[in-house]
Order: sequence, then C-alpha cells, then structure tokens
Amino acid sequence: VSDTVYLDNAATTAVDPRVVAEIIECLGPDGDFANPSSVGHEPGRRARARVEQARAEVAALVGADPSQVIFTSGATEADNLAILGAARFYASRGRHVVTSRTEHPAVLDACRQLEREGFEVTYLKPGADGIVEPAQVEAALRSDTILVSLMHVNNEIGVAQDVGAVGALCRSRGVLFHVDAAQSAGKLPIDVGGDCIDLLALTAHKVHGPKGVGALCMRREPRLGLVPLLHGGGQERGLRSGTVPTHQVVGLGAAFRIAALEMAGDAARIAALRERLWLGLSTLPGVMLNGHPTWRVPGILSIAVDGVEGESLLYALPGLAVSSGSACASTHSEPSYVLRALGRSDRLAQSTLRLSLGRFNTAAEVDYAITAITAAVTRLRAVAPGHDA
Amino acid sequence: VTTDDPRYGVDVRRRVASLRGAGTLGPAPDVASGRAGDREQGAEVVLTCRVVEQRVADVRFLAFGCPHLLAAASWLTDRLRGAGREELLAWDWREAADALDVPPAKFGRLLTLQDAVRDLARNWPGPPASTV
Repeated sequence: VSDTVYLDNAATTAVDPRVVAEIIECLGPDGDFANPSSVGHEPGRRARARVEQARAEVAALVGADPSQVIFTSGATEADNLAILGAARFYASRGRHVVTSRTEHPAVLDACRQLEREGFEVTYLKPGADGIVEPAQVEAALRSDTILVSLMHVNNEIGVAQDVGAVGALCRSRGVLFHVDAAQSAGKLPIDVGGDCIDLLALTAHKVHGPKGVGALCMRREPRLGLVPLLHGGGQERGLRSGTVPTHQVVGLGAAFRIAALEMAGDAARIAALRERLWLGLSTLPGVMLNGHPTWRVPGILSIAVDGVEGESLLYALPGLAVSSGSACASTHSEPSYVLRALGRSDRLAQSTLRLSLGRFNTAAEVDYAITAITAAVTRLRAVAPGHDA
Repeated sequence: VTTDDPRYGVDVRRRVASLRGAGTLGPAPDVASGRAGDREQGAEVVLTCRVVEQRVADVRFLAFGCPHLLAAASWLTDRLRGAGREELLAWDWREAADALDVPPAKFGRLLTLQDAVRDLARNWPGPPASTV
C-alpha cells in the first residue's frame, strides 16, 4: 500500500475494478480463456465472441466499424504498423512522410527507420504553444508525400491538435493520415470518419485498461493497404499474427466502453481538478504553463518552475508520483525534446513537472499536491543563489 | 524531505533533509565569498565564510543543483570549519564524492563546488598568507 498521491496518469493508469472483473472472467479454468481462433469448439467460440464484442466496443469509441479494428500489443506497435506498414505498402507512389518534432518516440523512431530505408521525412516545428497549424502541414505536402502522422494529444504537455482540419487537408490531397491517439482516446471525442483519419493508434492502459494491448483502427473504404510487421498465424486479417490475448482484448474493450459512457462526466470533473491544480500553483511566482492554455486534454498539466533544479524538485516531492521534464535514466537526464521544440530553455525544461490526473484522483489529492509543491519550491529557492528573501 | 529513492545514499538524504549550513553571511571585513557555476548549466554555488585568526570560523552555502550538490555543499560547511587558506586552495572534490558516495555521473557537479572553494580562498579577507 502506498501513501503516494498518484498524479502520473499520462504515464499509465490504474485498471478500473470493473475492467479487472471482466479480465478475470477470461483467465480461470471456468472462464473464457480459450484461443479465440479455435472456433471448432465451444470454448473457442465463446472466446471469439468476447473478442468480437471488444472489437465493437473499441470501434464504437472512435466512430468506426468493428471491421476496421486490428488488435495490437499497444499504441507503440499500432504506430509502427501504421507508419512502417503504410509507407512500405505505398512506397511506389512516393517516399515522403510528414510528422512533427513533438511526436512520441514510437512515431519518431518509426520515421527514422523509414529514413534508413530511403524515405524522406519532414519534421514540423510546433509553435510555442505546442500546436502544429494545418497551414504548416499544407506547406510541407509534396507530390510524393504519402503519409502525414500527427498525434492527437501530446503526452508531455497535453495540447490537442486540430486533427479534423489536418485530416480534411490530407483527404483532399490524397495523402494518408495517421493519428496517435494514445493520450486522447476516451478523453476527447474522436471520429475517424468525420476527422478523415485513415490510421488511428490506440492503447488501453492510458484509460484505465490493462497494459500490453491496443489497437490500430484503419480505413476500410476504400480499402487501405499495409505491410505487416509480424508474420505467423495470420490473425487479425493477416496484419498482426500472434494469438489474440482474449483477456487483454476484453480489458481494452471494457475500458473503452466505460470511457465512452463516462467521458462527459469524467472530462468535466478532471478538467475542474486540473484547473484547481493550476490555480493553486500559478500563485507561485515563476510558474509557467507549458502548451496552449485551452486546446488541451482535461487531465494533463505541465508547468515549468523557474528558480529550482528539476531533479531536486522531484526529490523534494516524495509523496507525489509525477513526471519531470527530463527523459530520466538512472544516472543522467536530458531535457525533454518536446519542451525544447516549444522553445523552452534547457533549464526550464529540466525544471518542468507533468502532473496528470485520472478517474480516481480527488480534490483532496490535488490540494495535497499544491501544498507539497509550494513547500518544496519555496524551500529550494530559499537555498539557491540569487534568492532575495 | 524523506525519500527511499536508492539513487541517493543515506548521507545525501540526511543532508538534503536538514540542509544544514544553508544561508549566507552578511558583508563584513572578515567575511569572504566564493562563487562558481552557472544556473543555465544546472549547478551554481555561493559560499561565504567568516575568517578568525586566519581560519574558517563559520561557513554558509547557497546552491542551485541536484540533491547530490546540495548535500555536498551542506557537508562542506562542516568540513571547512577550522581550515586555513592553503587548505581551501588544495581542497579536492573527490573528498566530498567519497564522503557522500556520490555516483560518477554527478562528479561534474562537485567540480563546481571545488571551484567555489578555490574562489573563496582567492577572496580570503586580509593579506594573503602566501603567494597564490
């Protein structure tokens, strides 16, 4: 049992007990544990039915048809399958891809792999507010552009891109549009049809589902081609070989079903908690919001705290589970490339805190965080050179 | 501050919890100050000391940096008490690294501390004890 207040829901979330209950139904000897591809017997057909129910639940959250959903091990695999799979399939049409500098490594590293294969990639620089303007995307499109990849919500700062506008632009130019929705699914409305999204990467564990499962939602009309990354049993229409993990997929479906039902209420409550947090912390001098003030997901608050060193700030908050603005390793830390791309100095990037709220956070926890951060910042500033007190 | 983070040794945790020696000594004829580092580079230290009969009688630190640097600066305020100018000039950061079990990745931060100690010696109040 931990006394730590968990404000790192953008990293991962606790699994909702209702989701846990449905997962457990698929694990034991009396449960729906069978291989869903084994439709020659009744347990297999039961497992298959649960998988297809989950597929429908995933599709429903994003306005898709169940036939568009391919289960994966998470958003990283879905991003890789979308980017590498589409680029390789359509390489004869062109070898240019557009993305942004603030994408998740799952996208950036896939793009770097494409560069090693001879593709060209344009990395757009967002504005200081973290937003990539559709006009920037339009200016980057070329006759040989085959794919645009843009995340819906940034995992570090929480800003939301106008994927509908970019999607419409891409559709009008005949360019495929991939969206990493790991941080937005279940938190902001997504409509793959209305937003003209051809490839949508999803994950369960950011929305109170289990780790290790996600999905790629891909356009079916007109049919879209992908070169698979995995080869084997031909599951998931040959695009993702490997035994479909029934319990994981059922957990994904349950998490998405609950998110769809409770999105409006959760979003309003979590946004109010985030505002309470920001109002409490913004009274501290030298505290700055990272990213656009209103185009953002409800749960993520990223702040740069001037006058304190980032590692010491995190160290001084043992009762809070939060993330820093550094890509921390055990012995070193580098300033966040996302914050650097927004024009933040290395020092401010190092002294950034990401506080991310979820379904189970309370106002009391937010108040505790405000008190703890205020005390830590005040103490560290008091021993820093140049402090005027 | 209490933490069980294994990246920080017991002495570092104890020092950061108390931050003993933090502060500054006001300007006076018998007070010297030494400064090193750059906040933009992630480490900055200011030391002030009162000198009585050519010995350090009291030391205070201000520091911007990681927990290891804060702990080492605090430790240094005890270590330098009673030291003379020549000892300050000869002080080596490795002593703090050994005393506090600082990991190699943080050695660069301790160099900032050494630079501040030597700057303190250069600003020693009164006539120099010997040629630098």
